[in-house]
Amino acid sequence: MSKKFRFSGAGVLVAGLLFSASVYAQENPRTSEGRPDFSGIWQAHSGPEFDLEPHGYRKDAPPGKGIVEGGRIPYQEWALEERNRRFEQRSTEDPRLHCFTLGTPRAIYYPEPFQIFQDNDALTLLFQFSHRARTIHTNGSVHPEGGIGFWFGDSRAQWKGDVLEVSVTDFNDQTWLDRAGNFHSESLQVIERWELIDSNTIRYHATLEDSQVYTQPWSLSVLLHRHREPGFQIIENTCYTLGFDEYYPVPK
Amino acid sequence: MRNKSLNTLKLSSVALAVSFFAASRTTVLAQGQNAWRVPYVYEIAQGEWQGPRLADGQPDVRGHWSNTIGNHNNITDPQGRFPLDPPSANEKPRDTRAPSRLVLPADGEFPLQPWARAKQQEFMSNLYSATRPEYVEPLARCAPGGPTKSFLWHGYEIRQYPNYVLFLFDSGTRLIHLDKTGEAAPLDEDIKLWNGDSRGWWEGNTLHVQVRNHNGKARFGRTGEFVSEHALITERFIFDNDGERYRYEADYVDDTVLTEPIRFAIPSRRITEDTPQDGWNNITFAVNYPGGVTRGIEAYERTCVENNGSHGDVSIY
Repeated sequence: MSKKFRFSGAGVLVAGLLFSASVYAQENPRTSEGRPDFSGIWQAHSGPEFDLEPHGYRKDAPPGKGIVEGGRIPYQEWALEERNRRFEQRSTEDPRLHCFTLGTPRAIYYPEPFQIFQDNDALTLLFQFSHRARTIHTNGSVHPEGGIGFWFGDSRAQWKGDVLEVSVTDFNDQTWLDRAGNFHSESLQVIERWELIDSNTIRYHATLEDSQVYTQPWSLSVLLHRHREPGFQIIENTCYTLGFDEYYPVPK
Repeated sequence: MRNKSLNTLKLSSVALAVSFFAASRTTVLAQGQNAWRVPYVYEIAQGEWQGPRLADGQPDVRGHWSNTIGNHNNITDPQGRFPLDPPSANEKPRDTRAPSRLVLPADGEFPLQPWARAKQQEFMSNLYSATRPEYVEPLARCAPGGPTKSFLWHGYEIRQYPNYVLFLFDSGTRLIHLDKTGEAAPLDEDIKLWNGDSRGWWEGNTLHVQVRNHNGKARFGRTGEFVSEHALITERFIFDNDGERYRYEADYVDDTVLTEPIRFAIPSRRITEDTPQDGWNNITFAVNYPGGVTRGIEAYERTCVENNGSHGDVSIY
């Protein structure tokens, strides 16, 4: 049985209007099926990883205007308390500190590059951080039966003109959304919209819904910029080995 | 809020590794594994590719694959027991089991220098009682398998794109740059990586790869053999024109650890939706399409250290 993702909210309607008219010129790189070609190495330049919400300077974060539409994440009362608790414990409890898979959408705006490989069946995203791969299926397949609990979620996409709309679901609750303790439960569902606004810039928009944590769906957006430096490449960052790699192959 | 189904439904790479560690004393194989595994390494000649090609001209070898002999329990006797395990009642004669993973030297033995042999014996002897950090086999910590060991373990996937071949393992990811123009400069030698930095090219049915910048930390198996970061590694992925099999070869030259060069040979077969699920070679699920249709297979999410508990999860910051 296919798993359909339905959610309501003005944010979805607004996003749909924003993305209804293609801005990607026809002569820009496209696949053999005529789709915008997202292939390349990308990175967000802004600082949402430190805190998705507006914030001043901190010892562990530069100031930022935030990327949450409307300013604040609409937490339920208990969840806001939990977020604040995680904020206070962020130097020890953030799963990033273990080099764990960052999840969706955090891996997209984390300040390390990722490479997109694209064919007619899927986009494969290879993240430098933790050297993990995420697959966005564009082959018409639908979500598997639930209950698996993916770190990145399961991603199934369809093209809406030149915009790639991705339904992401079946998450576990282990990832954070940033370093400031913003979080979700296993009930999280994400709708992503990927749009090339020119050949070197992606507008990434995500709407998050989680009935256990948020009072309503909310959205964020960032721009991703193509790395064009000659010879630039993703370098394996398997930082999760740092705690023990000194012992191999033979202790020094 | 922990997803209770995570540990029961998800086939964790680490859970499988740990479970096989526990079972290694009796070398019990599931029925599916027995059907998949063969006691020989087939020869495939390098030559013309006559199969389908991708738009950029690469031979199309995309899909799910797995080695046909066994795992990394014992490099020189890959279908035999771990050397410290007692023989089982149904242990087959050596000449009926698969040969050593090494085809060079000709005797199949790992030609370690005396100091390295002493270390290998120490690692092997202490595998079951890891009282020191180095006695834990690194793959049990979810460290990447390294250029060669990655092909000895679970099933994996090959994806291809213009200028790249991408390998997705349960134990990490490996990207082969198909450098034709030389624009992508090799990495500085001080950058050391578990899977190294790989540059390759196709000649007929063979993908040739040179591996640089590897850190030599992966070790080759539970028997503890290793090389250093100074090893020169060249690989050949030789694909049969039937598109169903390939032979992996890897040459290692390391005069700081080895007494002579070595060559690995690992046979692999393609996994399809008709391949029996066995929890080792084939860890995939059927793909859903609208209307209740299922077609093709996908692998589960490849995460390891996240589910490894304290065994390998060590905070880095």
